[in-house]
Amino acid sequence: MKKDLISIDDLRLEQILNYLDLAARVAAIPDAEKFRFLPGRILATLFFEPSTRTRLSFESAMTRLGGRVIGFSEAAGSSTAKGESFSDTIRTVEQYADIIAVRHPKEGTARRAAEISRLPILNAGDGANQHPTQTLLDLYTIRKFFGQVDGLRIALVGDLKYSRTIHSLCRALLMFDGVAMTLVSPESLKLPGYLLKAAKGTTATFRETSSLEEAIRETDLVYMTRIQKERFPDVVEYEKVKDAYVLEAGMLAGVPARFKVLHPLPRVNEISPDVDATPHAGYFEQARNGVIMREALILDLLDARPARSTP
Amino acid sequence: MTPQSQILLIPKIECGYVIDHIPAGLGIQVMALIGCHPELEAAVVTLGLNYKSTRMGRKDMIKLQTKSLPPRLLQMLALVSPGVTIKRIANYEVVEKVVIQVPELFDNLARCINPNCITNVEPHIGTRFKRLESGSRHFKCAHCERVCTLDELAGHLKA
Ligand SMILES: [Zn+2]
Repeated sequence: MKKDLISIDDLRLEQILNYLDLAARVAAIPDAEKFRFLPGRILATLFFEPSTRTRLSFESAMTRLGGRVIGFSEAAGSSTAKGESFSDTIRTVEQYADIIAVRHPKEGTARRAAEISRLPILNAGDGANQHPTQTLLDLYTIRKFFGQVDGLRIALVGDLKYSRTIHSLCRALLMFDGVAMTLVSPESLKLPGYLLKAAKGTTATFRETSSLEEAIRETDLVYMTRIQKERFPDVVEYEKVKDAYVLEAGMLAGVPARFKVLHPLPRVNEISPDVDATPHAGYFEQARNGVIMREALILDLLDARPARSTP
Repeated sequence: MTPQSQILLIPKIECGYVIDHIPAGLGIQVMALIGCHPELEAAVVTLGLNYKSTRMGRKDMIKLQTKSLPPRLLQMLALVSPGVTIKRIANYEVVEKVVIQVPELFDNLARCINPNCITNVEPHIGTRFKRLESGSRHFKCAHCERVCTLDELAGHLKA
């Protein structure tokens, strides 16, 4: 049966750990050898809405593995703009490729693609719903920095109400053992209640604080997010909270050496550029890990995993 | 209302089905569902409203003189009014009795409550709503993963 990656909710902890292990194996393969894995294979990147970073990351991953990439980066100019249905686009493009990464502003599109296509489908973001490759690369990054995810103290900062990245990461962290989450957000952008409820019966804990400084002192890593202007119907409301939490290098004085700052990027003002030069900035390595995780996922979905003996 | 007048209003049927224990007020809606099924076009249907019920206070009841009930109608009943009793009648006697339960899956019976769900953008796509857990009245869209209640789904019944 073909494999897809549509939603973190489809994965059990064991499968997540397998992906993290696979990514670690892929990371150990020199780039000069990686290109031998998928010669002649084609990844179609169907981006019905622009997301340059995610698209380039997928394309870099496939190219490094020796495969090729076709696709489009926005709906305008594509056949969708001429009125073609999403389902028809998938049925057509699957004739051109071996695997598809799809991003779409509507929710449920990746699942729809998976149910009608014989090709493996990677969800690169379906509206406000899921972006599972981001979550997996976040977990991989966390485990790489700290050696494990269990028992870590993690601060989630910024837009906790609308951030798909945060919701998905939070759900995944609930599967691990004893993760202590500190929630830092403006009053109007708090984590939805259903996620707090989902923690019942797990070993995870939540606490809230409005102080970023306090969160930094009492956690192992902070995961920063951008507060998105388009989330606010009223620009005045946005102006009130947009710079609510800005991380500056000075705030990191005295943190343990292993303390890390992560961010899905792109950032706007929420991490001051002076943080970049500190040993705590983890976000650019996180972006690199995104390519590695996507290499691992493409290999897995195409049934081309490297042998376990690979160093 | 005396027992005698009840009999006059909704007589016993020789063979067919009784949909009993419909919450009072929902009988009209269930009639509309029956009307959506061309298989039941020839069936004689009688509707009784607002009966006294020891269990429910008041209830509605529908009798259909037909050989069989379409499975899709039963699924719709499970969505709109779980808990109703279906009695099969032969020779004026109840020969079978089933209480309609909330199922684990609704297959293409309702539209998604999320306007941004692909199944609403392309309405020909078949919807699926899976029960969150056994006993729950919450369902999750298999496509957009939005969680909604049974009542919300019942309000979005597909024609
Ligand atoms: Zn939906």
